[in-house]
Amino acid sequence: MSPQLTLQTPLELPPSEVPNYLNQLWSRDQANSIGAHTFCLLIWQPAWVEQQLVRTGRIEGPIMGVQRDEVEEAGRKAVLELDLPLSTPPLGSSVSNSLAKVDGSKTSDDLRGQHVDEALSTLRPRRLITLAPSLDSSRPLETLVAAYCPLPEEGGGTVACGDVVVLRGGTEALQEGLNTLQPLLPDDLPSWVWWNGPLDESPELLEKLSIAPRRLILDSALGNPSYCLNLLATRLASGQAVNDLNWLRLGSWHQTLAMVFDPPHRRDALSHVVQLDIDVEGDHPVQGLLLASWIADRLGWTLKETHGHDAKTGDSSISAMFQRPDGTEVPLRVSPVPMGQPSIHPGQIVGLRMISKPEHGGAMCVILCAESGGCMRLEAGGMASMELVEEVVPLLHTHVEADMARLLEGGHDSSNPLLAAAAPLAAKLLT
Amino acid sequence: MTATITNPLRVGLRQERVIAPQCLVIFGASGDLTHRKLVPALFELFQQRRLPSEFALLGCARRPWSDEEFRSKMAEAMGDKVRDHPEAWEQFAAGMFYEPVDLQKPEDVVKLGGRLQEIDRQRATRSNRTFYLSVSPKFYAGGCRALADAGLLKDPQRSRVVIEKPFGRDYGSAQSLNRVVQGCGQENQIFRIDHYLGKETVQNIMVMRFANAIFEPIWNRNYISSVQITASETVGVEERAGYYETSGALRDMVQNHLTQMLAITAMETPGRFDPEAIRSEKAKVLQAARLADELEPWNCCIRGQYGPGGSDGAPLSGYRQEPGVDPHSTTETYVAMKLFIDNWRWQGVPFYVRTGKRLAKRLSEVVLTFREAPVHLFDAAGGSPTANQLILRIQPDEGAEFKFEVKSPGSGMRSRPVEMEFSYDESFGEPSDEGYVRLLADAMLSDPTLFTRSDEVEAAWRLYTPLLELIEDSPWKLPIHPYESRTWGPAAADALLARDGLLWRRP
Repeated sequence: MSPQLTLQTPLELPPSEVPNYLNQLWSRDQANSIGAHTFCLLIWQPAWVEQQLVRTGRIEGPIMGVQRDEVEEAGRKAVLELDLPLSTPPLGSSVSNSLAKVDGSKTSDDLRGQHVDEALSTLRPRRLITLAPSLDSSRPLETLVAAYCPLPEEGGGTVACGDVVVLRGGTEALQEGLNTLQPLLPDDLPSWVWWNGPLDESPELLEKLSIAPRRLILDSALGNPSYCLNLLATRLASGQAVNDLNWLRLGSWHQTLAMVFDPPHRRDALSHVVQLDIDVEGDHPVQGLLLASWIADRLGWTLKETHGHDAKTGDSSISAMFQRPDGTEVPLRVSPVPMGQPSIHPGQIVGLRMISKPEHGGAMCVILCAESGGCMRLEAGGMASMELVEEVVPLLHTHVEADMARLLEGGHDSSNPLLAAAAPLAAKLLT
Repeated sequence: MTATITNPLRVGLRQERVIAPQCLVIFGASGDLTHRKLVPALFELFQQRRLPSEFALLGCARRPWSDEEFRSKMAEAMGDKVRDHPEAWEQFAAGMFYEPVDLQKPEDVVKLGGRLQEIDRQRATRSNRTFYLSVSPKFYAGGCRALADAGLLKDPQRSRVVIEKPFGRDYGSAQSLNRVVQGCGQENQIFRIDHYLGKETVQNIMVMRFANAIFEPIWNRNYISSVQITASETVGVEERAGYYETSGALRDMVQNHLTQMLAITAMETPGRFDPEAIRSEKAKVLQAARLADELEPWNCCIRGQYGPGGSDGAPLSGYRQEPGVDPHSTTETYVAMKLFIDNWRWQGVPFYVRTGKRLAKRLSEVVLTFREAPVHLFDAAGGSPTANQLILRIQPDEGAEFKFEVKSPGSGMRSRPVEMEFSYDESFGEPSDEGYVRLLADAMLSDPTLFTRSDEVEAAWRLYTPLLELIEDSPWKLPIHPYESRTWGPAAADALLARDGLLWRRP
């Protein structure tokens, strides 16, 4: 899907004049001013990798802040050129941090917030506010405003317009610009805050932006794993509506594993699980821990103990021991697996093995594996006598904007109760 | 249904759409449908946490009940469903109200507007309303007009009307009713309900056809030789004699339920999964459908009426002996007919449709029979190879079955038919929702995909117009064939297929 441009050239206004300008734009006495009565989306849009790729001359720009193939390809090339581990996600912090050490001073137009991905524009947001921090931390605040009308590709339909507001500048200048935000978020519309960057990069700003009743959307695959899980658990516990894109991407694993146990004759096996192993890409275990915690929560397991990374042996797996309701212990192991062509999303699950030994009946081994890898590692060892169920989990190779649209389309105005139950447990697994 | 524990990994994974805060108003709240189907469906939605907390149910009828009387009568009628979940019922019932309304009295409907505003304040339902006309069909037009006159259908985004079947008695009356209801609101506010479309297995016909690459290429006249659509009941007319005497099987089952199954089975692939795209394709295929012999319909249609039957120990009375039925009634309780669809996909393929009361088994199914292999290389155990059949079981024992030939074990090369089965019960182990659960939720979500559009209804009535006119003008040309209760209908219906060298499937 190609991004859609605003219909007007964005107007640069002093921050204090933005609310008045927008009020006039949508005042009811103006003819043809049909503002969509939908929702507001406030986006933290650092696009650090894209900015660094432009600065070092690896791509030409303009900077758009939208995940696109050109940026992903350049990110993958940079991983090789910078001698980073092959499992490094091409758009992750490691790439931007390494690029930051490379010389370069190329510049380009910065159109962040002015290009709206079609997946989002079809949802007709009333207002998109983009906070676009620049690499130059001393850059002063600029405020841009434009009206915006998504035009349905197939024509027809009611065109309901919205507007985009862009706050651009150094992080400090953006902090100062926060005061202008509150009047830009109408009380009668739901507001979402999408933190589209590492969760630990600016905790104070994240705190200020995501005040309740604004709904928070984050990606627990971005940032320090412990920090991500603790933040997720804390926010969920506070009662704020929180949605996690990393959890959303777990959907096909949830569905496939549930599907295995839909036939009634397999249900009993769920009460007799004796081992759970999960493989994840690279060194970001959050998605694997969330999946394990969801299984544990649904099956009524309690956490007995955890074992983190073993520095002596170099084993970076995470191990834990759960206890089933009948007292039987269930070991869990979440293991990092190197990948030659990692996903753009760090720490994606590549495989799951669940072994079950019912008292009356044969043992059963369920192996799920991602399309990106195989099940070879999980197939190894001692399961010849078991009933083997293998499924390939279909993965959606979508960009983050499409994930966002999926989430917003679902009308999720509260936290997912399954995530709310799994996140605190996942956080404990990392402590 | 197998008694089994719920799949704990399935809990919470269903991606349900969010119903907006609203008040559902049921006219005819003292009637049978309300306590048998509608309130149980709403209670089910409530227990599945699919109703918003800002939800209210307002029952309306002529009886002078209070809110409390309405709640207790519903609780009583629902029996165990309420007794098993007393706390949930208490919470649900707190949002139930009652207002005595005679739809023919404008002042009552104006008063209703006031009550709805009061409920909006009390339950935060934001003037968002779904009106359900579960009243006698003769009040549909007047009911819509009364609601429109009272300004209750003014906002097309926040008001919608659900209309029960039958929508009209024939093509002309359906057209008139469409004109009236479309004058009261926009088409997207009108939800003509057909509870068959709420059945998981009917919707599954679309999924099977359009989500699998293997079916669509052979889903046409080149590979399919005939289609049978059956909806049979074992029960008789029961307490519905008054309605049934004026309706009969043709109006009660064929024009709506069976025709919808036919439309979904025969429609072209919609460009996308969109309400209008799907409804347009259904309307188009119905517009292309016709009776196999429109000039002499008696050649392609058999009417029947059940007579006494059963055993000495459990005798069953015939239709004419049922309470409330005219002893000389010529109302049909059974219809079988042959149709054609004049389009590129189906030209020349006969569609056989049958329905009846007091038949041997309760079932609904669609059977697609494929053409025989052009050359028979092998001996068949049954003399000649059995044609491949795809059987889509709508109810009971929901699922699908594919019959094909395999090698019979042994030293020779004889073939014999076997069956490949898919069973909802075995694969999912959980009962699917009642049709009304899905359809009520969809209406409240303003999703018309599973509701019939005006042109579909009219096309369905037009399809049967030659029969209806014949029954009206010269009933003797389409005689009633008696059949014994709990058999598969009159022998004349078998002869209808025998003329084409075929047999009805006897499941």
